[in-house]
Amino acid sequence: MENLSLGLLLMVVGLPTVFLILLIIIYLGKGLIAFVNRFIPEEIILKNNDSESGIPDRVKRIIAAAVSEATKGKGIVTTIEKR
Amino acid sequence: MNNIFDKLYDMTAFSNIIAEPQFLIMYAIAFILLYLGIKKEYEPLLLVPIAFGVLLANFPGGGMGVVQADQNGMVEVQGVMKSIWEMPLHEIANELGLMNFIYYLLIKTGFLPPIIFMGVGALTDFGPMLRNLRLSIFGAAAQLGIFAVLIGAILIGFTPKEAASLGIIGGADGPTAIFTTIKLAPHLLGPIAIAAYSYMALVPVIIPLVVKLTCTKKELRINMKEQEKLYPSKTEIKNLRAVKIIFPIAVTTVVALFVPGAVPLVGMLMFGNLVKEIGANTFRLFDAASNSIMNAATIFLGLSVGATMTSEAFLNWTTIGIVVGGFLAFALSIAGGVLFVKVVNLFSKKKINPLIGATGLSAVPMAARVANEIALKYDRQNHVLQYCMASNISGVIGSAVAAGVLISFLG
Repeated sequence: MENLSLGLLLMVVGLPTVFLILLIIIYLGKGLIAFVNRFIPEEIILKNNDSESGIPDRVKRIIAAAVSEATKGKGIVTTIEKR
Repeated sequence: MNNIFDKLYDMTAFSNIIAEPQFLIMYAIAFILLYLGIKKEYEPLLLVPIAFGVLLANFPGGGMGVVQADQNGMVEVQGVMKSIWEMPLHEIANELGLMNFIYYLLIKTGFLPPIIFMGVGALTDFGPMLRNLRLSIFGAAAQLGIFAVLIGAILIGFTPKEAASLGIIGGADGPTAIFTTIKLAPHLLGPIAIAAYSYMALVPVIIPLVVKLTCTKKELRINMKEQEKLYPSKTEIKNLRAVKIIFPIAVTTVVALFVPGAVPLVGMLMFGNLVKEIGANTFRLFDAASNSIMNAATIFLGLSVGATMTSEAFLNWTTIGIVVGGFLAFALSIAGGVLFVKVVNLFSKKKINPLIGATGLSAVPMAARVANEIALKYDRQNHVLQYCMASNISGVIGSAVAAGVLISFLG
């Protein structure tokens, strides 16, 4: 009987404790998000390296590397047009 | 001549196996577990070392079985009772063998489960949980099985410490089950670890079964993305990386203040996650935690837990009680999560698919994957994986907190 009351006590204390801790974590998370949004919002760096063709330099480099690889260094990309 | 053959026969393990045929049952159990791990691919990283540990422990004369100390820490060494805690490690290795050395150094001290938690943390992404914070509460509801089975086990004659160790199987978290059992009922470590990992491996069978019994088709068709469009979340995360870095530090602090007993597990889980989220600067730590340390810890844990399953420790009614009770704990935890979703749905306009409650137990990420497959069966467009991951990950914290409460009260 003593053991059973201990078991019931654990149920009554244990399960609400788990709920309480997760509730605290949820509100902690929300507070954290609000804090970060307010004080350390992400710095969005827009690098405008694109040339007049409107094709990003990174894409140009990838195309040039692919052509070079496919032609074993003989092919050279001179112009890239966007249609 | 006969004398020589008799001696040769006695030298082999055959004489002991014929004298005590229960060893054969243990071999059968080891082979079944090996089959499940290798052929069926059920948690092979854990089942294979555990099963091989069972095999090694049950070869008579091999000296690879773990010798369990009694409640006073006494073990029999060559006919003399000695306190295991007063024996130097080299003496344990010499007198009791390699497996006892590993067990008493790494397992009985409670060293390996938190180390594995560190690796789990390094492999966990809290992103889905942070994006769906309100769903995290189902990680608490799905701990119902732990406490319900604890009471049931006491009623059928287990001591409170044994009952708590049995109930924690319902948390569906292997390292948590092992950590709690080491602290509360180390003599039950073998069957509890086997039951916990076996049921985790059987998540693809158990979750659909419980969901079928507790949910209607209409409930399973609740489309989370449509609900999101109807009632959009107000929270926007502008800098997820910063949140992910601060989150493990904040959670550790809060849990440590409220439930210090859970710190070894939650603290190490969050440390592993922190070194992952910091990125390039701590990449080497992340790499060690998630690969080399995690893998070595898993080998030692699996082998030595398997080696606790000697025939005399395993073949008894207590083990059968653990196998049945473990299943009930697991199923009740899933049902607890499902029922809590139903209660929330009664009061909320924004409906939640009950599968999100079913994944509130740990078993990350298999539980979430299984729930997603069930949802897709009822609606091809209903991808619930990211929502299930929220409750699934919070379930890891929930079960660790539950373990902390049990250890604080009973330890």
